[in-house]
Amino acid sequence: MNTELSEEAVEYGRTALRAFEAAGGDQIVQDAEREPARRADLVEPVLAELGAWDLDPRGGADELEAVAALCRVAGWWALPYPVAERLARPADSSTDGLVVIAGTGPGGAGGTGDGLGAGDAGLVGYGPAAPVAGLGRRWSTVTFDGGRGIATAAPPATTPRYGAFVTGLVDDPALVPSQASRDGDGLADLALGLVLPCWTLLGMLDRAIDLTRAHVLAREQFGQPLARFQGVQFQLTDAEVERLGVEELAKYALWAVATGRGEAVDDALALRLAILEAADQVFRVAHQLHGAMGFCDETTLSWISRYSQPARRLPLGLSATRDELTRRIGRAGLAGPFAPRREPDLEVQPL
Amino acid sequence: MGEGVETLRRDLRELVHKHVPPDFLGAFTDDPADLEVAQSFSRTLAELGLLCMAWPTEFGGRGATLWEQTVVREEMWAHHEPRGAQYMGVNWVGPAIMRHGTAEQQQRHLPPIARGEVIWCQGFSEPESGSDLASLRTTAHPDEESGGWRVSGQKVWTSYATMAQWCFLLARTSREKRRQQGLTVFLVPMSDPAIEVRPIPSMLGPHHLNEVFFDELRVTEADVLGTVGEGWAIVQEVLAFERVGIARYARVERLLQAAPAALGAEWDVLPEELRSRWARMLVHARRARLLAYRVVSLQAGGRIRPDDSAAYRIAVTRLDQESAEVLMDIVAGASLPGEEGRRFRRAVEDHRRYSVSATVASGSVEMQRILMSRSLLAAR
Repeated sequence: MNTELSEEAVEYGRTALRAFEAAGGDQIVQDAEREPARRADLVEPVLAELGAWDLDPRGGADELEAVAALCRVAGWWALPYPVAERLARPADSSTDGLVVIAGTGPGGAGGTGDGLGAGDAGLVGYGPAAPVAGLGRRWSTVTFDGGRGIATAAPPATTPRYGAFVTGLVDDPALVPSQASRDGDGLADLALGLVLPCWTLLGMLDRAIDLTRAHVLAREQFGQPLARFQGVQFQLTDAEVERLGVEELAKYALWAVATGRGEAVDDALALRLAILEAADQVFRVAHQLHGAMGFCDETTLSWISRYSQPARRLPLGLSATRDELTRRIGRAGLAGPFAPRREPDLEVQPL
Repeated sequence: MGEGVETLRRDLRELVHKHVPPDFLGAFTDDPADLEVAQSFSRTLAELGLLCMAWPTEFGGRGATLWEQTVVREEMWAHHEPRGAQYMGVNWVGPAIMRHGTAEQQQRHLPPIARGEVIWCQGFSEPESGSDLASLRTTAHPDEESGGWRVSGQKVWTSYATMAQWCFLLARTSREKRRQQGLTVFLVPMSDPAIEVRPIPSMLGPHHLNEVFFDELRVTEADVLGTVGEGWAIVQEVLAFERVGIARYARVERLLQAAPAALGAEWDVLPEELRSRWARMLVHARRARLLAYRVVSLQAGGRIRPDDSAAYRIAVTRLDQESAEVLMDIVAGASLPGEEGRRFRRAVEDHRRYSVSATVASGSVEMQRILMSRSLLAAR
């Protein structure tokens, strides 16, 4: 097991962070929200400069780690662009990207564009959806049982301010690949499609903690910085423990994907469950410690918080992720030194 | 971790299987046979060169890697610490004597620890000095007659004091401007009649908690570890060892993973919500393990700071308690027939009792939060 990212991947992440800062940093998401049609133009040239389109997340551990580092940067700046989904596109580039979907029926999360007034739908809906509005029509999809398909993205039914660029995905039976859909590659896609957006969300947690730390050091009440109050210190510390824990799980799940382990989907779901719990706590603490400022558009936290919603609700929210993990692992538990079934050479004595 | 480490894990499991009865729930029970199991197992490990494998070769160890030490910690804790109280001698008393002891102290104390023949206890906490250890009142007054000191005072929560032969005692030798100054570590024999031990009955079981009274205990320069008045630095070092020394997640993982087999067909009719809490605990156990590995990686790279182990400690102690609640709910509604079922229930109940102390023992979780927040909010 190796849970250290390569120095090259870490350096690539630093380069990407600076590149997006130079391209506008926090302003990028604000510009995209104001002019949704520009969102690809705001992000894609920087990705091209960074050589992101040459990265193949299925091409080995080094490339996968670089992709993960880039996704994390995308989260830090709340980039209004599905970096994780786009980079997970099929090797032959036959579609615009890969999204994990849950549920069936008409594309949800804002619907298919029929009959919903802009601004009232939000991102909570029914059926498959992803934050891919306005970015190409054809998306590879994979379901939680490894079923692969191709869907078309519906026109956005609401403004990004309420929908965070989420739109419905409509399964197109005419476009379903002819090969068997529940093969091993489908599960590999599922693991990859779950893990990379978690890296984006991790970048958002990094940023939320960083912003909150800076705020409590600067903001004074009762004649001293908020950071001097133990009630504040302990909340921030607990949030940071959550963030550190999911950072380790994210590296573990990435290693599981890179090495093609049979349990990679379990590991991805374990990561997703932990990061959704962490996100609840980190954003709750971040908002609480920012006070009313944290709701306002003038603070970056407000943007990061709003744009974290798609990754936290889709394809499955916290409870549904926990149910899915529980169903998948059954009686076998998670792989590890004390798992009875998966380490046959390491017999664990019954208690 | 590497193949060598997994071989070591296999070897340790075989040894435990061979030498430790399946019913064993630790050395500190009402049954004296359990203590004998631990003493005998420690001697076996010592004979095989596995007890002190982390020690440098010049002190009889084999300079095991940090990852090998991690596997030993995991396997021992997962199997209810069959080394008994020996882990303290091996993990931190011995290393402290190596770094700060005189040649005579090293010669006297290290070989018996390495052979697994001696039990140590730790004389730190006092009735009025818990987390605020520097406020301790046990005092070593100069003894003009002997040229040494006479120690008087009271320690509390002292594990293994009823069976220990030696005490790693912290006492005040002078009043200085800073409370952390003027403290001295003494290595004292528990057989001295000036020491009285009174057990404290508790939910943790016998031998875990004791009061220790010192009434004019005579000590000399030869009993001082390190320099007089500079014991605080030694204690800080010792506590840092202890904070990463217990792989609590390993027992949690073993218990959680064993639950479905222990319940048999009854597992499938547990409430779905309970099985989902179980799955969540497995994730949290893995998370705690990976946070421990993070500390080990930082140690290996020489980059460790106090707050790095604090994050792990906060996560793992919370895991101990939350997992205990889930496991208790699992066994509460299960019939668990037969020997294995009974064994699983006992192990879970033991874990539940012991987990209550997790956020208090070895540095309270509040102290860990303080340590961590200091670093998190420090200037960058």
